[in-house]
Amino acid sequence: MNGYGGKILRVNLTEGKITQEPIPAQLARDFIGGRGFGIYFLFKEVPKHADPLGPENKLIISTGPLSGMLAPGGGKCDWTTKSPLTGGYADASLGGHFTAEMKYAGLDTIILEGASPNPVYLFIDNDKIQLLDASSLWGKGAIDVEVELKNKYGEEFQIAAIGPGGENQVLYACINHDFGRQAGRGGVGAVMGSKKVKAIVLHGTKTVPVADMDGYRKAGMALYKACKDAEGLAEWSRYGTTVVTSWCDEVGALPTRNFSAGSFEQGSNIYGQTMRKEIVVTDKGCFGCPSPCGKYSNMKRYNTQVEGPEYETIGMMGSNLGVGDIQAVAEANRLADDLGIDSISAGGCIGWAMECYEKGIFTKADTDGLELKFGNLDAVFALIKKIAYREGKMGNLLALGTKRAAQQVGQGSEKFAIQVKGMEQSAYATHNATAMLLAYMTCDVGAHHNRSWAITYDLQVGRDKVVPEKVARIIWLQNFRPMFDVMGSCRLQWVELGIDRDLYCPLLESITGIKRTWEDLEAVGNRIWNLTRMYWARENEGFGREWDLPAPRFYTEPPKTGVTAGQITKFEDVQKLLDMYYQQRGWNSDGIPTQGTLEILNLSAMVA
Amino acid sequence: MNLEPHYIIVMTATIRPLGMLKTYIGELKETTVEAGQSVRETIIKIGINPDLVAGVFVNDEQQNKDYVLQDGDIVKLLAVIGGG
Repeated sequence: MNGYGGKILRVNLTEGKITQEPIPAQLARDFIGGRGFGIYFLFKEVPKHADPLGPENKLIISTGPLSGMLAPGGGKCDWTTKSPLTGGYADASLGGHFTAEMKYAGLDTIILEGASPNPVYLFIDNDKIQLLDASSLWGKGAIDVEVELKNKYGEEFQIAAIGPGGENQVLYACINHDFGRQAGRGGVGAVMGSKKVKAIVLHGTKTVPVADMDGYRKAGMALYKACKDAEGLAEWSRYGTTVVTSWCDEVGALPTRNFSAGSFEQGSNIYGQTMRKEIVVTDKGCFGCPSPCGKYSNMKRYNTQVEGPEYETIGMMGSNLGVGDIQAVAEANRLADDLGIDSISAGGCIGWAMECYEKGIFTKADTDGLELKFGNLDAVFALIKKIAYREGKMGNLLALGTKRAAQQVGQGSEKFAIQVKGMEQSAYATHNATAMLLAYMTCDVGAHHNRSWAITYDLQVGRDKVVPEKVARIIWLQNFRPMFDVMGSCRLQWVELGIDRDLYCPLLESITGIKRTWEDLEAVGNRIWNLTRMYWARENEGFGREWDLPAPRFYTEPPKTGVTAGQITKFEDVQKLLDMYYQQRGWNSDGIPTQGTLEILNLSAMVA
Repeated sequence: MNLEPHYIIVMTATIRPLGMLKTYIGELKETTVEAGQSVRETIIKIGINPDLVAGVFVNDEQQNKDYVLQDGDIVKLLAVIGGG
């Protein structure tokens, strides 16, 4: 099939059985790939109310038609599962070079199902596919394992591995690849660990058929030319996502001390320009990337190196923990990567624990003796390790995420557990940015920014305005932006360089032979969005409006310092945002898609 | 009578808003401003909302908006387009 490797690889870990099946043409037409394939298989194949860390859950890895192709940043695949962190839908996008090799091995989707009795790794070299013993790798760091497997098989093999965090089923464990890229959020690494899969090693040399080779070359080159000609290419490439750190600080969006404020008095110590001067060694891009946002950094004080930190980690493990030291943030990033835990959720959990300590809810008896004050670097490093190994009372508690931890601890700590649906909010403070707040409230994996990002829109329209246009903007972004995760390419060329998104349509058509406009693609995005919503409703009794509420901090506690001091979103405005959102989405007042909406989207039969 | 000519030396910097920020200077490629004032003061004067400027790059190095412009500086202003 044009644009596809053509095969689904199914690995039954319980039985050690490996099978392949062709990708159904109807599936490719209706769901295209990536997270579209992910939710399709998750909804269809994982039984209702499956234990996320039990053998019934599946880990579904899917490329898209742009993956591995002449498309800027066409190195993305999507890891979909039932999240152990949230109990709902999760997908995590992975960059690097894994995706292209997977496609060249002829695979569009890999489904890991069941659970192995012993540690294994999945080895794929074109048609040679085996489950191999990983007992000597179990217990090792994800980066160490990547080095070991690269040395064993060669540089052309791409490796995705979990660290101890995944093995120990930390609920927000991630999957590492390419020495610093992650499928980061929602606990995909914990699911891989529950299946006793330490790593996937793969390499492929097959070709991918395209419908129109001349059109493909022209459309691909047009996209690369647009990137090359884009104003800002040099600046974005030099600083990556850290460009925005100083800006977030200025506009009150930089999470500070567990999101109690949006500006950090030591902010300049962690800005992109400081990082570039102090620790960055060189730039690093993923497969086919014309605008490398990755940065290799050398932390002289610790004699260590890392890819990163990027903005989210700087926000969550820097200002959010009161750490104004870029080398320390980078070292925390390295620890989290190697130990295999999501740096965003880890930063959220540690920030919550520090606030508990400073408020007297925790004492040293609770923290295994750690002085959990904001800014205490030793405590940050120690907690990352304790979480990954589920060591002691605090490590075990924080491995559960802030929602569950706060439910256990009580004493009002739920109010400053900064999460939605159980997922820790990523690094944009939203005390007074109503569109961005709504984006977090309604994101289909929990409080994550990548589906829709709207702080600039808040600043343009008026940050406290609660108007239908803002809601419409969020819905449009939610339907549109995740389509990059469906097609299998990076969104940053559109996000940062501002290249014309219409250039993607002829490329997609030349590859697949199917003509699609952005209107068509957004319709697919809308369909997927509604299906992920129905998955949440199916898996969680009583799912509804309450699940979409933000952390109470954003409507009860205005920051005392910074540019958003004294500012807050009123709770009635939070409810008004939801009313408008549900109405515009065609959902009922409890946030469930109506039968009419499901029929229009041709989803009725699937969700019945 | 001293008939020697008097010269007024004006120190200037060049501002280049990129992408959508160009609309604030009539879609021109660049504009020249007096040096000696901060980037923040300068961009407010030419009508750009500083909150919409994510990155200030002076001679290719990122700087804060408090940076005081020097003679001959070339300043690129970058907007946040789509976020993270």
